[in-house]
Amino acid sequence: MNHTTTPWYRTADGHSLIRRSAIALLVVMFWWAILTHAQDVSQANNSNKSFSARTTHLLGFEGSLNNANGTLSIQGDSLQFQKDGKPAVQVPIASVENVSLGQQDKQVGGKAMTLGKAAAPFGGGRAVSLFAHKKYDTVALEYVDANGALHGALFQLNKGQGEALKNDLVAKGARVSKSDESGKQSKAEVSNENK
Amino acid sequence: MKISKGISLFGLAAVVLMMTIAAKCSTKPENSSNARWSVQVDRVDPGDVDLEPSFRIAIYESLLDELNKTKRFKQVFRDGDRSASEVSDLLILKTTVQKYTAGSETRRAVTTISGATKLTVGSQLVTRDGQVILERNFDGNVRFMGNNLRATHNLAHNVAKTIKQSRLQVLSQPAPAQSGEGSASSKRT
Repeated sequence: MNHTTTPWYRTADGHSLIRRSAIALLVVMFWWAILTHAQDVSQANNSNKSFSARTTHLLGFEGSLNNANGTLSIQGDSLQFQKDGKPAVQVPIASVENVSLGQQDKQVGGKAMTLGKAAAPFGGGRAVSLFAHKKYDTVALEYVDANGALHGALFQLNKGQGEALKNDLVAKGARVSKSDESGKQSKAEVSNENK
Repeated sequence: MKISKGISLFGLAAVVLMMTIAAKCSTKPENSSNARWSVQVDRVDPGDVDLEPSFRIAIYESLLDELNKTKRFKQVFRDGDRSASEVSDLLILKTTVQKYTAGSETRRAVTTISGATKLTVGSQLVTRDGQVILERNFDGNVRFMGNNLRATHNLAHNVAKTIKQSRLQVLSQPAPAQSGEGSASSKRT
């Protein structure tokens, strides 16, 4: 009956648990640092890249179907929309006469969700509606074709992407109408006065 | 009994047939008399209304779409299209926004009775020299189902439907640009 008592911080073979934990913590922190650094680098690279994002084309972009999902990107001097597996449609950025941003609050879940809400008893569907919506950015473009004809196009992007697209387009030569800008300014002034 | 039943059925069939023929006859002249016109859709004038640019663009594009569907015009031109200048019988569709109530899809879904998107525009169909062919106000609303932009589609559908049903005859001599409340009354051919 020769019992040797081992303290809680030591294993049966005499190794220190504290030391092992410290090593494990260091390894985790090391990987965390590497991952964070990698993320920063990729973000920096992305900021140098031209805009590209998954969007929904709502209407108006010549040659694209309404309510089609695809990738909207800036390729050189053109704005391009490409639906998966279909040829891309391009418009020269110089022909864009106006870019304006908006926001939309849309229900998510599509028809299945709508049917589900309708079928829910005791008005439960209405409660679901409170949470089943998402905010999107909308980008409205006005551009002219080779014949001088005015076209309007609407795209729906994830929140925050609209501003990035607008900035990229303006940097590449797209115009923004003065009325839109002044309208925004006057709204801002009004809201400041209210504060 | 059998004979009277047969007669009444025959009478009913005859009435239905006559109504069908009458309906067809009434629509024929409208289609044939206006095939000479082409139309150019002007960009939408927001007027004094604080309308989102996306709505302005959606109205414009929906109008083009719906007018093309009516097949009442030889060609439908966009604003600024240079090839429209070569067309002799050209009508110009001018649209001015008069009222806009921003709605909310979520509020509609939750409450049913509130959150409607309402849109009212004044439309004028004029010839090149300013003669008014059609002048009327149109509504486009979304009250229950659908997203907010659907109001623009409904509005354009109403405009196109009215144009399709009208005879497109000259109403007045060259008129000044749409003048406030007075022009809001519906003049229709």
